[in-house]
Amino acid sequence: MERRVVITAGSAITPIGHAKADILNSLTQGISGVKPLRHDELLSQYISSAVFGTVDYPIPYEFKRNFRKTMGPVAYYACQVVKEVLESSGLDQSFITSGRLGVAFGSTHGSPTVQRRIYKNFFSNDASQYSAIDAVDYLKSMVHTTAVNITKMFGITGRVISSSTACTTSSQSIGFGYETVKFGLQDAMICGGADEYDTTTVAVFDNLLACSTAFNDTPHRTPRPFDVNRDGLVVGEGGGAVLLEEYEFAKKRGAPILGEIIGFSNNNNGGDLILPNMEGIKNTIRLGLENAGIAPDQVDLISAHATGTKMGDVIEAMAIGSVYGKQPYVTGLKSYMGHTMATCGVIETLLVLYMMEVGFIAPTLNLEEVDARCAMIRHVMKPVESRIQIAAIQNFAFGGVNTCLLIKQFDE
Amino acid sequence: MNLTREQLQHKLLRIFEENFEIKNPGLDDDLREAYEFDSIDAIGLLVEIERIMGVKLSQEKKKQSMDIRTINDICNYVETIHIARS
Repeated sequence: MERRVVITAGSAITPIGHAKADILNSLTQGISGVKPLRHDELLSQYISSAVFGTVDYPIPYEFKRNFRKTMGPVAYYACQVVKEVLESSGLDQSFITSGRLGVAFGSTHGSPTVQRRIYKNFFSNDASQYSAIDAVDYLKSMVHTTAVNITKMFGITGRVISSSTACTTSSQSIGFGYETVKFGLQDAMICGGADEYDTTTVAVFDNLLACSTAFNDTPHRTPRPFDVNRDGLVVGEGGGAVLLEEYEFAKKRGAPILGEIIGFSNNNNGGDLILPNMEGIKNTIRLGLENAGIAPDQVDLISAHATGTKMGDVIEAMAIGSVYGKQPYVTGLKSYMGHTMATCGVIETLLVLYMMEVGFIAPTLNLEEVDARCAMIRHVMKPVESRIQIAAIQNFAFGGVNTCLLIKQFDE
Repeated sequence: MNLTREQLQHKLLRIFEENFEIKNPGLDDDLREAYEFDSIDAIGLLVEIERIMGVKLSQEKKKQSMDIRTINDICNYVETIHIARS
Protein backbone atom coordinates (compact mmCIF):
# COMPACT_ATOMS: atom_id res chain seq x y z
CA MET A 1 0.00 0.00 0.00
CA GLU A 2 1.49 3.32 -1.07
CA ARG A 3 -0.11 6.46 0.26
CA ARG A 4 0.46 10.14 -0.55
CA VAL A 5 2.43 12.07 2.06
CA VAL A 6 1.99 15.79 2.61
CA ILE A 7 3.75 18.34 4.78
CA THR A 8 1.26 20.19 6.94
CA ALA A 9 3.36 22.22 9.38
CA GLY A 10 6.93 23.28 9.94
CA SER A 11 9.15 25.40 12.15
CA ALA A 12 12.85 26.18 12.29
CA ILE A 13 15.30 27.97 14.53
CA THR A 14 18.01 29.15 12.15
CA PRO A 15 20.89 31.61 12.12
CA ILE A 16 18.77 33.79 9.77
CA GLY A 17 15.62 33.80 11.88
CA HIS A 18 12.97 31.81 13.62
CA ALA A 19 9.62 33.02 12.26
CA LYS A 20 8.86 32.35 8.61
CA ALA A 21 8.64 36.10 7.88
CA ASP A 22 12.11 36.71 9.37
CA ILE A 23 13.65 33.86 7.41
CA LEU A 24 12.04 35.02 4.16
CA ASN A 25 13.20 38.55 4.87
CA SER A 26 16.79 37.34 5.26
CA LEU A 27 16.52 35.38 2.00
CA THR A 28 15.03 38.26 0.04
CA GLN A 29 17.38 40.87 1.51
CA GLY A 30 20.48 38.72 1.35
CA ILE A 31 21.12 38.84 5.08
CA SER A 32 23.68 36.37 6.42
CA GLY A 33 23.49 34.61 9.79
CA VAL A 34 27.22 33.94 9.89
CA LYS A 35 28.86 35.69 12.84
CA PRO A 36 32.20 35.62 14.68
CA LEU A 37 32.90 32.31 16.44
CA ARG A 38 32.05 32.60 20.13
CA HIS A 39 34.89 31.98 22.53
CA ASP A 40 34.32 29.00 24.76
CA GLU A 41 37.60 28.80 26.72
CA LEU A 42 38.12 25.36 25.21
CA LEU A 43 39.02 24.90 21.59
CA SER A 44 38.01 28.22 20.07
CA GLN A 45 41.40 29.85 20.63
CA TYR A 46 43.13 27.17 18.54
CA ILE A 47 40.71 27.08 15.62
CA SER A 48 41.79 28.87 12.44
CA SER A 49 38.23 29.46 11.31
CA ALA A 50 36.65 32.24 13.38
CA VAL A 51 33.14 32.21 11.93
CA PHE A 52 29.95 30.38 12.88
CA GLY A 53 26.32 30.27 11.74
CA THR A 54 24.91 31.63 14.96
CA VAL A 55 21.49 31.71 16.58
CA ASP A 56 21.89 34.95 18.52
CA TYR A 57 18.31 35.94 19.29
CA PRO A 58 16.30 34.98 22.38
CA ILE A 59 14.03 31.96 22.16
CA PRO A 60 11.04 31.97 24.53
CA TYR A 61 11.40 28.51 26.03
CA GLU A 62 8.60 27.71 28.45
CA PHE A 63 9.33 24.11 29.40
CA LYS A 64 8.44 22.75 32.82
CA ARG A 65 11.31 21.54 34.98
CA ASN A 66 10.14 17.98 34.63
CA PHE A 67 10.95 18.21 30.91
CA ARG A 68 14.00 20.48 31.16
CA LYS A 69 15.85 18.13 33.49
CA THR A 70 16.64 15.65 30.70
CA MET A 71 17.40 18.24 28.03
CA GLY A 72 20.73 19.61 26.86
CA PRO A 73 20.79 22.64 24.51
CA VAL A 74 20.20 20.44 21.45
CA ALA A 75 16.98 19.06 22.92
CA TYR A 76 15.79 22.60 23.69
CA TYR A 77 16.03 23.40 19.98
CA ALA A 78 14.29 20.15 19.07
CA CYS A 79 11.44 20.42 21.56
CA GLN A 80 10.82 24.09 20.78
CA VAL A 81 10.40 23.56 17.03
CA VAL A 82 8.23 20.49 17.60
CA LYS A 83 6.10 22.43 20.10
CA GLU A 84 5.54 25.10 17.47
CA VAL A 85 4.76 22.53 14.80
CA LEU A 86 2.22 20.71 16.98
CA GLU A 87 0.62 23.97 18.10
CA SER A 88 0.19 25.16 14.53
CA SER A 89 -0.90 21.74 13.26
CA GLY A 90 -4.24 21.69 15.03
CA LEU A 91 -3.79 17.99 15.75
CA ASP A 92 -5.93 16.72 18.63
CA GLN A 93 -4.13 15.62 21.77
CA SER A 94 -5.91 12.27 21.46
CA PHE A 95 -4.25 11.71 18.06
CA ILE A 96 -0.83 12.86 19.27
CA THR A 97 -0.84 10.21 21.98
CA SER A 98 -2.69 7.55 19.94
CA GLY A 99 0.33 5.66 18.61
CA ARG A 100 -0.53 6.76 15.06
CA LEU A 101 1.98 9.64 15.26
CA GLY A 102 5.70 8.83 15.34
CA VAL A 103 8.92 10.78 15.62
CA ALA A 104 11.96 10.78 13.34
CA PHE A 105 14.48 13.16 14.82
CA GLY A 106 18.21 13.27 15.36
CA SER A 107 21.34 15.23 16.06
CA THR A 108 25.02 14.74 15.33
CA HIS A 109 26.17 14.00 18.87
CA GLY A 110 23.43 14.31 21.44
CA SER A 111 24.54 17.28 23.54
CA PRO A 112 28.29 17.93 23.23
CA THR A 113 28.05 20.54 26.01
CA VAL A 114 26.94 17.83 28.42
CA GLN A 115 29.37 15.27 27.02
CA ARG A 116 32.24 17.66 27.72
CA ARG A 117 31.13 17.99 31.33
CA ILE A 118 30.95 14.21 31.73
CA TYR A 119 34.46 13.69 30.36
CA LYS A 120 35.86 16.58 32.37
CA ASN A 121 34.73 14.79 35.52
CA PHE A 122 35.73 11.42 34.14
CA PHE A 123 39.31 12.47 33.46
CA SER A 124 39.69 14.52 36.64
CA ASN A 125 40.99 11.42 38.45
CA ASP A 126 39.24 12.77 41.51
CA ALA A 127 36.95 10.39 43.39
CA SER A 128 34.83 13.27 44.63
CA GLN A 129 33.94 14.11 41.03
CA TYR A 130 32.34 10.71 40.46
CA SER A 131 28.95 11.75 41.77
CA ALA A 132 29.16 14.94 39.70
CA ILE A 133 28.40 12.73 36.69
CA ASP A 134 24.77 13.61 36.96
CA ALA A 135 22.08 10.97 36.69
CA VAL A 136 20.51 12.79 33.77
CA ASP A 137 23.70 13.48 31.84
CA TYR A 138 23.27 10.32 29.80
CA LEU A 139 19.73 11.29 28.85
CA LYS A 140 20.99 14.67 27.69
CA SER A 141 23.96 13.38 25.76
CA MET A 142 22.75 10.12 24.22
CA VAL A 143 22.43 10.21 20.47
CA HIS A 144 18.62 9.90 20.45
CA THR A 145 18.14 12.60 23.09
CA THR A 146 16.17 14.87 20.75
CA ALA A 147 13.70 12.18 19.65
CA VAL A 148 12.86 10.89 23.11
CA ASN A 149 12.69 14.27 24.80
CA ILE A 150 10.10 15.07 22.13
CA THR A 151 8.14 11.89 22.86
CA LYS A 152 8.26 12.61 26.59
CA MET A 153 7.18 16.24 26.32
CA PHE A 154 4.24 15.59 24.02
CA GLY A 155 3.25 12.08 25.09
CA ILE A 156 3.93 10.61 21.65
CA THR A 157 3.65 6.83 21.67
CA GLY A 158 4.30 5.87 18.05
CA ARG A 159 7.48 4.80 16.28
CA VAL A 160 10.81 6.40 17.06
CA ILE A 161 13.54 6.73 14.44
CA SER A 162 16.68 8.58 15.43
CA SER A 163 19.13 8.89 12.58
CA SER A 164 22.51 10.28 13.44
CA THR A 165 24.34 10.56 10.16
CA ALA A 166 25.90 14.01 10.57
CA CYS A 167 24.86 16.21 7.65
CA THR A 168 22.15 13.84 6.37
CA THR A 169 20.54 13.35 9.80
CA SER A 170 17.42 15.41 9.24
CA SER A 171 17.04 14.66 5.54
CA GLN A 172 17.03 11.00 6.56
CA SER A 173 14.51 11.85 9.29
CA ILE A 174 12.19 13.33 6.68
CA GLY A 175 12.87 10.54 4.19
CA PHE A 176 12.37 7.73 6.67
CA GLY A 177 9.31 9.53 8.06
CA TYR A 178 7.97 9.81 4.51
CA GLU A 179 8.42 6.08 3.94
CA THR A 180 6.84 5.26 7.30
CA VAL A 181 3.67 7.17 6.38
CA LYS A 182 3.73 6.16 2.72
CA PHE A 183 3.70 2.47 3.59
CA GLY A 184 1.02 2.80 6.24
CA LEU A 185 3.10 2.19 9.37
CA GLN A 186 2.05 5.53 10.88
CA ASP A 187 -0.49 8.15 9.83
CA ALA A 188 1.77 11.07 10.70
CA MET A 189 5.41 11.67 11.60
CA ILE A 190 7.19 14.59 13.21
CA CYS A 191 10.54 14.77 11.46
CA GLY A 192 13.62 16.90 11.83
CA GLY A 193 16.94 17.49 13.48
CA ALA A 194 18.90 19.83 15.69
CA ASP A 195 22.45 20.68 16.61
CA GLU A 196 23.70 23.00 19.33
CA TYR A 197 26.64 25.38 19.34
CA ASP A 198 29.76 23.23 19.44
CA THR A 199 33.37 24.03 18.69
CA THR A 200 34.32 20.33 18.52
CA THR A 201 32.66 20.06 15.12
CA VAL A 202 34.41 23.24 13.96
CA ALA A 203 37.75 21.84 15.14
CA VAL A 204 37.21 18.59 13.22
CA PHE A 205 36.54 20.39 9.93
CA ASP A 206 39.23 22.96 10.70
CA ASN A 207 41.83 20.23 11.11
CA LEU A 208 40.69 18.69 7.85
CA LEU A 209 41.38 22.09 6.24
CA ALA A 210 37.71 22.17 5.20
CA CYS A 211 36.67 25.31 7.13
CA SER A 212 36.57 28.84 5.79
CA THR A 213 39.38 30.96 7.23
CA ALA A 214 39.82 33.85 4.78
CA PHE A 215 36.77 35.81 5.91
CA ASN A 216 37.24 35.86 9.66
CA ASP A 217 36.93 39.65 9.67
CA THR A 218 33.89 39.68 7.38
CA PRO A 219 31.85 36.63 8.42
CA HIS A 220 28.84 37.53 6.26
CA ARG A 221 31.01 36.99 3.13
CA THR A 222 31.40 33.27 3.78
CA PRO A 223 30.57 30.50 2.97
CA ARG A 224 30.62 31.11 -0.80
CA PRO A 225 29.27 27.98 -2.51
CA PHE A 226 30.37 27.61 -6.14
CA ASP A 227 32.24 30.95 -6.02
CA VAL A 228 35.78 31.06 -7.32
CA ASN A 229 36.93 32.54 -4.00
CA ARG A 230 35.23 30.02 -1.72
CA ASP A 231 37.54 28.64 0.91
CA GLY A 232 35.54 26.15 2.91
CA LEU A 233 32.49 25.54 4.99
CA VAL A 234 31.17 27.36 8.04
CA VAL A 235 29.63 25.33 10.86
CA GLY A 236 26.28 26.50 12.23
CA GLU A 237 23.59 25.63 14.76
CA GLY A 238 19.81 25.33 14.81
CA GLY A 239 16.80 23.08 14.80
CA GLY A 240 13.92 22.32 12.51
CA ALA A 241 10.84 20.13 12.28
CA VAL A 242 8.15 19.28 9.77
CA LEU A 243 4.92 17.38 10.24
CA LEU A 244 4.22 14.74 7.61
CA GLU A 245 0.73 13.34 7.27
CA GLU A 246 -1.02 10.82 5.09
CA TYR A 247 -2.89 12.91 2.53
CA GLU A 248 -6.44 11.61 3.12
CA PHE A 249 -6.04 12.05 6.87
CA ALA A 250 -4.77 15.62 6.43
CA LYS A 251 -7.54 16.43 3.96
CA LYS A 252 -10.24 15.01 6.20
CA ARG A 253 -9.22 17.19 9.11
CA GLY A 254 -8.79 20.27 6.90
CA ALA A 255 -5.07 20.70 7.54
CA PRO A 256 -3.28 23.35 5.49
CA ILE A 257 -0.95 21.56 3.05
CA LEU A 258 2.44 23.17 2.51
CA GLY A 259 3.74 20.66 -0.02
CA GLU A 260 3.85 17.01 -0.97
CA ILE A 261 6.82 14.68 -0.68
CA ILE A 262 6.94 12.65 -3.85
CA GLY A 263 10.28 10.90 -3.56
CA PHE A 264 13.27 10.07 -1.43
CA SER A 265 16.56 8.35 -1.99
CA ASN A 266 19.37 7.38 0.32
CA ASN A 267 22.54 5.57 -0.66
CA ASN A 268 26.19 5.27 0.27
CA ASN A 269 29.35 5.86 -1.71
CA GLY A 270 30.57 2.44 -0.64
CA GLY A 271 34.11 3.53 0.06
CA ASP A 272 35.86 6.60 1.38
CA LEU A 273 34.19 8.17 4.41
CA ILE A 274 35.17 11.77 3.68
CA LEU A 275 35.89 12.47 0.01
CA PRO A 276 32.98 13.64 -2.15
CA ASN A 277 32.02 10.97 -4.65
CA MET A 278 30.47 11.84 -7.98
CA GLU A 279 29.06 8.39 -8.74
CA GLY A 280 27.46 8.19 -5.31
CA ILE A 281 25.84 11.60 -5.72
CA LYS A 282 24.67 10.91 -9.27
CA ASN A 283 23.16 7.65 -8.09
CA THR A 284 21.25 9.26 -5.24
CA ILE A 285 19.90 11.91 -7.62
CA ARG A 286 18.78 9.26 -10.11
CA LEU A 287 17.29 7.07 -7.39
CA GLY A 288 15.35 10.05 -6.04
CA LEU A 289 13.90 10.86 -9.45
CA GLU A 290 13.07 7.21 -10.01
CA ASN A 291 11.40 6.97 -6.61
CA ALA A 292 9.33 10.07 -7.42
CA GLY A 293 8.50 8.72 -10.87
CA ILE A 294 9.55 11.91 -12.62
CA ALA A 295 12.03 12.90 -15.32
CA PRO A 296 14.93 15.30 -14.64
CA ASP A 297 13.30 18.04 -16.73
CA GLN A 298 10.33 18.14 -14.36
CA VAL A 299 12.48 19.53 -11.54
CA ASP A 300 12.42 23.33 -11.34
CA LEU A 301 14.75 23.94 -8.40
CA ILE A 302 17.62 22.13 -6.74
CA SER A 303 18.62 23.03 -3.22
CA ALA A 304 22.23 21.87 -3.41
CA HIS A 305 24.18 20.60 -0.42
CA ALA A 306 26.78 23.21 -1.45
CA THR A 307 28.87 23.63 1.67
CA GLY A 308 31.43 25.89 0.03
CA THR A 309 34.36 23.48 0.08
CA LYS A 310 36.84 23.43 -2.81
CA MET A 311 36.14 19.92 -4.05
CA GLY A 312 32.67 19.20 -2.71
CA ASP A 313 31.04 21.98 -4.73
CA VAL A 314 32.77 20.94 -7.96
CA ILE A 315 31.75 17.29 -7.60
CA GLU A 316 28.17 18.25 -6.75
CA ALA A 317 27.92 20.69 -9.66
CA MET A 318 29.27 18.04 -12.06
CA ALA A 319 26.83 15.45 -10.70
CA ILE A 320 23.87 17.84 -11.04
CA GLY A 321 25.03 18.85 -14.52
CA SER A 322 25.33 15.27 -15.69
CA VAL A 323 21.79 14.32 -14.58
CA TYR A 324 19.87 17.56 -15.03
CA GLY A 325 21.90 19.61 -17.49
CA LYS A 326 21.43 23.33 -17.17
CA GLN A 327 17.67 23.46 -16.82
CA PRO A 328 16.73 23.58 -13.13
CA TYR A 329 17.73 26.53 -10.98
CA VAL A 330 20.39 25.59 -8.41
CA THR A 331 20.77 27.45 -5.14
CA GLY A 332 22.97 26.82 -2.13
CA LEU A 333 21.10 27.85 1.00
CA LYS A 334 24.01 27.20 3.37
CA SER A 335 25.45 30.43 2.00
CA TYR A 336 23.04 32.27 4.35
CA MET A 337 23.75 30.44 7.58
CA GLY A 338 26.60 28.02 7.23
CA HIS A 339 26.26 24.30 7.66
CA THR A 340 23.85 23.53 10.46
CA MET A 341 24.94 19.88 10.36
CA ALA A 342 22.16 17.54 11.53
CA THR A 343 19.65 20.30 10.92
CA CYS A 344 20.54 21.33 7.39
CA GLY A 345 18.20 18.94 5.57
CA VAL A 346 15.07 20.03 7.41
CA ILE A 347 15.99 23.73 7.36
CA GLU A 348 16.64 23.58 3.62
CA THR A 349 13.36 21.70 3.11
CA LEU A 350 11.48 24.40 5.00
CA LEU A 351 13.21 27.21 3.14
CA VAL A 352 12.27 25.55 -0.15
CA LEU A 353 8.63 25.27 1.03
CA TYR A 354 8.63 28.95 2.01
CA MET A 355 10.07 29.91 -1.39
CA MET A 356 7.56 27.64 -3.17
CA GLU A 357 4.72 29.39 -1.42
CA VAL A 358 5.98 32.86 -2.36
CA GLY A 359 7.17 31.96 -5.89
CA PHE A 360 10.67 33.21 -5.25
CA ILE A 361 14.12 31.63 -5.42
CA ALA A 362 16.84 32.98 -3.17
CA PRO A 363 20.22 33.28 -4.86
CA THR A 364 23.32 31.58 -3.53
CA LEU A 365 24.66 34.30 -1.26
CA ASN A 366 28.24 35.44 -1.91
CA LEU A 367 28.25 33.79 -5.33
CA GLU A 368 29.89 36.63 -7.22
CA GLU A 369 32.02 34.79 -9.75
CA VAL A 370 31.19 31.18 -10.56
CA ASP A 371 34.15 28.80 -10.46
CA ALA A 372 34.62 27.61 -14.04
CA ARG A 373 34.61 24.03 -12.75
CA CYS A 374 31.09 24.58 -11.37
CA ALA A 375 29.72 26.42 -14.39
CA MET A 376 27.80 23.57 -16.02
CA ILE A 377 24.61 24.21 -13.98
CA ARG A 378 22.07 27.04 -13.76
CA HIS A 379 23.20 29.04 -10.75
CA VAL A 380 20.87 31.50 -9.07
CA MET A 381 22.94 34.64 -8.60
CA LYS A 382 20.12 37.16 -8.17
CA PRO A 383 16.66 36.78 -6.64
CA VAL A 384 14.34 35.08 -9.13
CA GLU A 385 10.56 35.24 -9.20
CA SER A 386 9.43 31.88 -10.46
CA ARG A 387 6.76 29.32 -9.73
CA ILE A 388 8.40 26.19 -8.33
CA GLN A 389 6.41 23.08 -9.10
CA ILE A 390 8.97 20.46 -8.03
CA ALA A 391 12.15 20.91 -6.01
CA ALA A 392 14.95 18.54 -5.04
CA ILE A 393 16.85 18.89 -1.76
CA GLN A 394 20.26 17.22 -1.76
CA ASN A 395 22.41 16.45 1.27
CA PHE A 396 25.63 14.51 1.70
CA ALA A 397 27.38 13.44 4.89
CA PHE A 398 30.63 12.18 6.28
CA GLY A 399 30.53 8.43 6.02
CA GLY A 400 29.57 8.64 2.36
CA VAL A 401 25.84 8.95 3.05
CA ASN A 402 23.76 10.75 0.41
CA THR A 403 20.09 11.74 0.35
CA CYS A 404 17.73 13.39 -2.08
CA LEU A 405 14.22 14.56 -1.22
CA LEU A 406 11.73 15.49 -3.93
CA ILE A 407 9.03 17.96 -2.97
CA LYS A 408 6.09 19.09 -5.03
CA GLN A 409 3.81 22.09 -4.84
CA PHE A 410 0.58 20.58 -3.57
CA ASP A 411 -2.02 19.88 -6.20
CA GLU A 412 -5.09 17.73 -5.54
CA MET B 1 26.15 16.58 60.57
CA ASN B 2 24.95 18.58 63.49
CA LEU B 3 21.44 19.68 62.65
CA THR B 4 18.12 19.67 64.44
CA ARG B 5 15.16 18.20 62.60
CA GLU B 6 13.88 21.69 61.95
CA GLN B 7 17.21 22.82 60.51
CA LEU B 8 17.35 19.73 58.32
CA GLN B 9 13.82 20.41 57.05
CA HIS B 10 14.81 23.99 56.31
CA LYS B 11 17.85 22.87 54.32
CA LEU B 12 15.85 20.30 52.39
CA LEU B 13 13.13 22.82 51.53
CA ARG B 14 15.78 25.18 50.19
CA ILE B 15 17.24 22.36 48.06
CA PHE B 16 13.78 21.51 46.74
CA GLU B 17 13.21 25.12 45.77
CA GLU B 18 16.65 25.76 44.24
CA ASN B 19 17.33 22.43 42.57
CA PHE B 20 13.89 21.12 41.79
CA GLU B 21 11.75 24.29 41.59
CA ILE B 22 9.37 22.83 44.19
CA LYS B 23 8.30 25.59 46.55
CA ASN B 24 7.29 24.83 50.13
CA PRO B 25 5.91 21.32 49.70
CA GLY B 26 3.90 20.05 52.66
CA LEU B 27 6.01 17.82 54.88
CA ASP B 28 3.74 14.87 54.17
CA ASP B 29 2.96 15.62 50.52
CA ASP B 30 3.65 12.71 48.18
CA LEU B 31 6.43 14.33 46.15
CA ARG B 32 5.94 12.05 43.17
CA GLU B 33 2.19 12.55 43.01
CA ALA B 34 2.13 16.24 43.73
CA TYR B 35 5.35 17.48 42.06
CA GLU B 36 6.45 14.76 39.59
CA PHE B 37 9.56 14.19 41.72
CA ASP B 38 10.86 10.98 40.16
CA SER B 39 13.75 8.55 40.55
CA ILE B 40 16.06 10.80 38.49
CA ASP B 41 15.37 13.62 40.93
CA ALA B 42 15.90 11.26 43.88
CA ILE B 43 19.41 10.48 42.61
CA GLY B 44 20.10 14.21 42.41
CA LEU B 45 18.78 14.66 45.93
CA LEU B 46 21.09 11.93 47.26
CA VAL B 47 24.09 13.94 46.06
CA GLU B 48 22.80 16.88 48.12
CA ILE B 49 22.18 14.65 51.15
CA GLU B 50 25.78 13.43 50.95
CA ARG B 51 26.88 17.07 51.02
CA ILE B 52 24.69 17.87 54.03
CA MET B 53 25.93 14.83 55.94
CA GLY B 54 29.51 15.11 54.74
CA VAL B 55 29.58 11.37 54.00
CA LYS B 56 29.58 9.09 51.01
CA LEU B 57 26.49 6.87 51.03
CA SER B 58 26.86 3.24 50.08
CA GLN B 59 24.90 1.82 47.12
CA GLU B 60 22.86 -0.17 49.63
CA LYS B 61 21.91 2.94 51.60
CA LYS B 62 21.06 4.76 48.40
CA LYS B 63 18.77 1.94 47.26
CA GLN B 64 16.91 2.21 50.57
CA SER B 65 16.01 5.80 49.68
CA MET B 66 14.05 4.80 46.56
CA ASP B 67 10.82 4.24 48.49
CA ILE B 68 10.89 7.70 50.02
CA ARG B 69 7.84 9.79 49.15
CA THR B 70 7.70 12.80 51.49
CA ILE B 71 9.93 15.42 53.10
CA ASN B 72 9.31 13.78 56.45
CA ASP B 73 10.45 10.44 54.94
CA ILE B 74 13.67 12.14 53.79
CA CYS B 75 14.28 13.58 57.27
CA ASN B 76 13.73 10.15 58.80
CA TYR B 77 16.11 8.60 56.26
CA VAL B 78 18.86 11.13 56.99
CA GLU B 79 18.42 10.87 60.76
CA THR B 80 18.46 7.06 60.69
CA ILE B 81 21.72 7.02 58.78
CA HIS B 82 23.19 9.65 61.05
CA ILE B 83 22.27 7.74 64.22
CA ALA B 84 23.63 4.47 62.79
CA ARG B 85 26.93 6.17 61.96
CA SER B 86 27.32 7.84 65.32
